[in-house]
Amino acid sequence: MLNVENVRKTFGAVTVLDGVNLTVKPGEVVSVLGSSGSGKSTLIRCINGLERLDGGRITVDGFDVSRPKELAEARKRSGTVFQLFNLYPHMTALRNITLAPIEVLKRPKAEAEAEGRALLASVGLEDRADAYPAQLSGGQRQRVGICRALAMKPSYLLLDEVTSALDPEMTAEVLNILAKLAGNGTTMVFVTHEIEFARQISDRIVFLEKGVLLVDLPTRDFFAQDGGLAQPRVAQFLSKMRKD
Amino acid sequence: MRFDLSVLVPHLGFLASGAMLTAAVCGLALVGSVVLGMAVAIARTSSGGWARRAAYAYVDLFRNVPFIVQLFFFYYGLPEIGIYIDAFTTGVIALSIAGGAYASDAIRAGILAIDNGILEAAEVSGLSKRVTFTRIVLPIALRTSVRPLGSVLINMILTSSILSTITLNELTGQAKIVASDTFRPFEVYFVLLVVYAALTYLVSIGIALLHRRLNRDLMGQVS
Ligand SMILES: Nc1ncnc2c1ncn2[C@@H]1O[C@H](COP(=O)(O)OP(=O)(O)OP(=O)(O)O)[C@@H](O)[C@H]1O
Ligand SMILES: [Mg+2]
Repeated sequence: MLNVENVRKTFGAVTVLDGVNLTVKPGEVVSVLGSSGSGKSTLIRCINGLERLDGGRITVDGFDVSRPKELAEARKRSGTVFQLFNLYPHMTALRNITLAPIEVLKRPKAEAEAEGRALLASVGLEDRADAYPAQLSGGQRQRVGICRALAMKPSYLLLDEVTSALDPEMTAEVLNILAKLAGNGTTMVFVTHEIEFARQISDRIVFLEKGVLLVDLPTRDFFAQDGGLAQPRVAQFLSKMRKD
Repeated sequence: MRFDLSVLVPHLGFLASGAMLTAAVCGLALVGSVVLGMAVAIARTSSGGWARRAAYAYVDLFRNVPFIVQLFFFYYGLPEIGIYIDAFTTGVIALSIAGGAYASDAIRAGILAIDNGILEAAEVSGLSKRVTFTRIVLPIALRTSVRPLGSVLINMILTSSILSTITLNELTGQAKIVASDTFRPFEVYFVLLVVYAALTYLVSIGIALLHRRLNRDLMGQVS
């Protein structure tokens, strides 16, 4: 279980997360919606330990990310996919994927490589294993980014606007893969502006507004008139997103 | 007086041995200054403490003192306190220390230029600081700093001519001897000009090739 309890995060005088509570159970896909600056990325960065909490607690399968001794265990259980891919530019696609399994999980190189190749094949990149990131298209890079996260066999996949740097065609490539993962029972926390896609794959949708988690509802209820849409801010946000 | 290069023919072997010495000193000093530069760059980008201060002091000191003064200090100064080092070793050490100050700048710039997102990706995947540094930070920094390190090497080749002042008969030292033996300084130093220019030109071509090789993935980008 991924547990976010009453989390507060401030940058100087600005409160970016204000008492956020969120629970993600194994197998669930939870999408995080909210307008720009509402704190979505910060929430992800608190879960993977890139930001220090100013209050509250986050545990990943029981491991507290705020405790230095438990952070490593917590991190082994979550995998992050970034908006701008953040691949290691000097390593091939395969090496990007196998580095952490070999160095962190101490997997034998041959095994890690076989698994890496299988992952690449599962995203349609079996013939690009030896390509460097700069030789790949944006969509291909992000597919490698997903493989890199999956190679650690995380219990929770954290995705922060992973398609917003991509054009529509590449976005479709990546979303197809995410849909497949969701279908396989991969647990995901999915920050996105792709409302329709979130609606298709999510079990639950949460809505952040100025650092406050305003709504946390099963997907169907979120889009119901007497559910999420009853919140003026949500209705406003959705109608604005649909127009864009 | 007639310009006649043929007078130098009997001395070519002598000059070539000087050139070999220049190459040897610079080759060793290149290794020395890159290793030193790497260590100093690490210290300068570290989060603080005495190592960082010492690294800054080193860079400031050796960049702000003329090379010939550093060299004389090592070769003529240190024996006064009982430290004797032969001319060749002194040359290599002095060039390494002076070059290291500049190399650390190049490598430090390469380290600081690394996209923070890449480091965050390494961090969340659980890679240790050490592995992140050796497998990610250093290789990326080195490949971006190949060109500035090449300038350090070229500078080192030029500076190595000063080693003739501590009796090390590298290229310039040998040329001085030939000039005084033949009384033909015009021809001798003309050849010296050409040889240094050719040497540094070849080095810069080598650096460009190395840079291309290390950054080969960036050639022919898809996007
Ligand atoms: N390192 C930081 N220092 C100061 N302020 C920050 C920092 N990171 C984020 N913020 C601020 O925190 C707020 C929330 O940012 P965050 O990136 O979490 O928003 P977001 O919901 O992900 O937005 P977007 O949809 O644009 O990605 C913003 O006002 C932002 O300016
Ligand atoms: Mg964001």
